[in-house]
Amino acid sequence: MSADDPQQVPRAKGGRAPDVFEPGGWVPMRSHSQDEEVDFVIVGTGAGGGTLACKLAEDGFSVVAFDAGPYWRPLEDFASDEHHQSKLYWTDERITAGANPIKLGANNSGRSVGGSTVHYAMVALRFRPEWFKARTRLGYGADWPIDWQEMWKYYTEVEQALTISGPINYPWGPRRPRYPYRAHPLNEAAKLLARGAEALGIDWTETPIATLSAPKGKAHRCVYRGFCVTGCSTNAKQSVLNTWLPRALTAGAEIRDLAMVGRIEVDKAGRATGVHYHREGAWHFQKARNVVVAGYAIETPRLLLNSACEQFPDGLANSSGLVGKNLMVQLNQAAWGQMKEEVRSYKAPPSLTISEHWNYEDRGKDYFGGWAYMSQGPLPITWVKELAGQRGLWGQRLIDEMARSNHNVGLKMVGEVLPDERNRVTLAEETDRFGLPIAKVEFSYSDNDRAMMKHALSFMDDSLAAVGATERWKEWDDTCHLNGTARMGDDPKTSVVNADGRSWDIPNLWVCDGSVFPTVGGVNPSLTIQAIACRTADRIKALSARGEL
Amino acid sequence: MASEVDTAPRTAARLLAAGASTLGVSVLLDSAMEHYRGSFRNPAMALPLAASAISIAFDGSGRGGGFPRTASHSASVAIGLTGLGFHTFNVFKRPSGLTFNNLFYGAPIGAPGALILSGLLGAASDRLSGDGGALGSGRLLAGLAAFGIFGSVGEAGLLHLKGSFQNPAMWLPVTIPPLAAASLAVDAMTGVPRPWTTALLGATALVGTVGVAFHAYGVSRNMGGWRNWRQNLLAGPPMPAPPAFAGLAIAALGAVLLMRRARG
Ligand SMILES: Cc1cc2nc3c(=O)[nH]c(=O)nc-3n(C[C@H](O)[C@H](O)[C@H](O)COP(=O)(O)OP(=O)(O)OC[C@H]3O[C@@H](n4cnc5c(N)ncnc54)[C@H](O)[C@@H]3O)c2cc1C
Ligand code: SF4
Repeated sequence: MSADDPQQVPRAKGGRAPDVFEPGGWVPMRSHSQDEEVDFVIVGTGAGGGTLACKLAEDGFSVVAFDAGPYWRPLEDFASDEHHQSKLYWTDERITAGANPIKLGANNSGRSVGGSTVHYAMVALRFRPEWFKARTRLGYGADWPIDWQEMWKYYTEVEQALTISGPINYPWGPRRPRYPYRAHPLNEAAKLLARGAEALGIDWTETPIATLSAPKGKAHRCVYRGFCVTGCSTNAKQSVLNTWLPRALTAGAEIRDLAMVGRIEVDKAGRATGVHYHREGAWHFQKARNVVVAGYAIETPRLLLNSACEQFPDGLANSSGLVGKNLMVQLNQAAWGQMKEEVRSYKAPPSLTISEHWNYEDRGKDYFGGWAYMSQGPLPITWVKELAGQRGLWGQRLIDEMARSNHNVGLKMVGEVLPDERNRVTLAEETDRFGLPIAKVEFSYSDNDRAMMKHALSFMDDSLAAVGATERWKEWDDTCHLNGTARMGDDPKTSVVNADGRSWDIPNLWVCDGSVFPTVGGVNPSLTIQAIACRTADRIKALSARGEL
Repeated sequence: MASEVDTAPRTAARLLAAGASTLGVSVLLDSAMEHYRGSFRNPAMALPLAASAISIAFDGSGRGGGFPRTASHSASVAIGLTGLGFHTFNVFKRPSGLTFNNLFYGAPIGAPGALILSGLLGAASDRLSGDGGALGSGRLLAGLAAFGIFGSVGEAGLLHLKGSFQNPAMWLPVTIPPLAAASLAVDAMTGVPRPWTTALLGATALVGTVGVAFHAYGVSRNMGGWRNWRQNLLAGPPMPAPPAFAGLAIAALGAVLLMRRARG
């Protein structure tokens, strides 16, 4: 075990944290003692927790944010090697069940300071406004307790903070401000989506994406090598790790890496008093006035359930019985084909063009919900796994297919799965290396999901056919993203937290991550998670000013 | 004041030649880098290099005359025009044709224009070294230079928009040169050169010169910085591009000189 291995030895300690922009660099960090009752303890530093840590610290609150994962310096710690980079994924044991068990790990959960955004694909989309009132306006799912106009403001704040590169004009939805940076050049895969969309008579555009098309401060611009989903070694990717967290540190937040929170303590009065966490081989307790859970849609309910106590035998914040329920993935099915000319789809960020046509068009659907589709660029190991696992190729046939993968072209959907209480996270009997019961994750597709997949796959296949792709095939089984499991709402009986992410049952316990989504829409979730975190911070500030914390 | 009458056209001719060769060097290096990046996929991509190199030889020498010079300048204009056609085609063949993304990342439509201008300015310089003819008043040349500066402003504006004006210095070429070009255009129309114009053209030449340093800094901000120069010279802002402003401003100063002389 080497002394500077960030997976073994915490880096954020002793009044300093890693400077993500300098190999071997450090920045000062404010430190708190465990006995000091800090204003906020945040569990998880991803899209929800990292953003909130920054905003709360900037508002003058004392903040300690915990993450089970390491604190990376991308410039020195990331290799151009898919296998090596699996160190970014949350691969602790979990039980996966249901009729369509979800593959957990690479494609849906990260464990790093910065959360899953360290290896996310950077697609930065806004919800369609009607989705915030899906039940009332569109007749399915549930309504959000937040209004789209308010969210529009927070989306803008996040787009500015992440310096999103996007098209000059966005073809769908209400007007949005100009993206801070211009769109990237299109790779061949992206152009093929565009030509297909043109042939089918629908709009397409350059995908708004959280990687730099021009330098920004110490961050370089994108070099278009396409290693994005294994972690970006240039800092072009605008992850929570290199955007919100440096700001959080400057504003006085403390971040504790390699610190796994195992339990939230609640006193007799029914208020959270702090968290038990495991770091450097021992359990510790950090006192806090407020606890925010931001561990993403599996670890958040797991922690709430694992913190069951005398007053709350079914787990914290669970009087509705909904903690862990309504887990929503997103459909990630794909259509593939072969082009005569070389495509080299893995060059550049994977999803440079998009069509949100079927997010905004409801006519002609025999199902609820929307979906978008984007160009694709799988890296070699991912691709070989898809060919073997999904297409059933093996031996010489697999080798031959890999040999011509430069000609491969694909389109992948991000489709809305409806909330369903049978899709859920519960606790298993087995425990992990910390002695904590592990999560059991159950998921099954619904008929609605299948109808959407069918439509999307056939549409994407038509688009590939329109550009001359041959030997086309459909990948029927893939999912991405995790949401739901601690939904927000207006009614304590049908939701876990209110619009501010505050739990109905324990007034100083909050949730701020993808779990609070009542519905997921047909767009990737991280922009919405960060927008909600910004809103939660503003609400906390307002409540604090009124003495209502 | 016979001596003034004698030297002004010569000095103007020299300024024009200097401007034309500065512009030519900018075109030569810029198209060399950009077309190298494009792997000279089309053999015609070598033509602007050849044309600008020969023109520079003539403009720089200030000597010789007759057919070879005229032929070289005409070739620059012709190749520039052809380039305009190729570049426009390259933009329009991309998905959705005339879009910002295609203008940002397709072949730069304005770039071959610089080759045309360098050919025209070189030819004008030759002409002035002879009898001067209709160019003697300087007004036509001033108009041409103003047009050229506006064109370069358009190009810099588009590319700096692509770079999202991330550094405040990126506003320089879209503020000072347009003022200079506008002032020059007014002077060309009235035939009355104002000291303002000269000052602004001087500032434009300066912008074109310091622009190289700014672009060098821009190159350093790419992954690997100057250590990775072989990649970053191509990925970063084009270092040879800003001197186009200097070349046009210098040529414009020649035109101003002619206008002054014409007014006595
Ligand atoms: C491969 C991939 C590609 C993606 N692409 C996109 C995309 O293009 N666009 C998009 O919008 N979204 C994308 N996403 C999804 C996006 O990254 C997530 O939705 C988002 O990061 C979730 O935010 P979060 O805050 O809920 O959780 P996370 O960002 O996952 O953060 C949770 C953090 O909490 C920590 N944690 C959990 N439990 C504990 C505990 N008990 N103690 C201490 N720490 C704990 C974890 O280590 C983790 O770091 C992608 C995800 C993946 C995996
Ligand atoms: S393609 Fe761009 S965003 Fe992706 S890893 Fe490379 S530099 Fe980072």
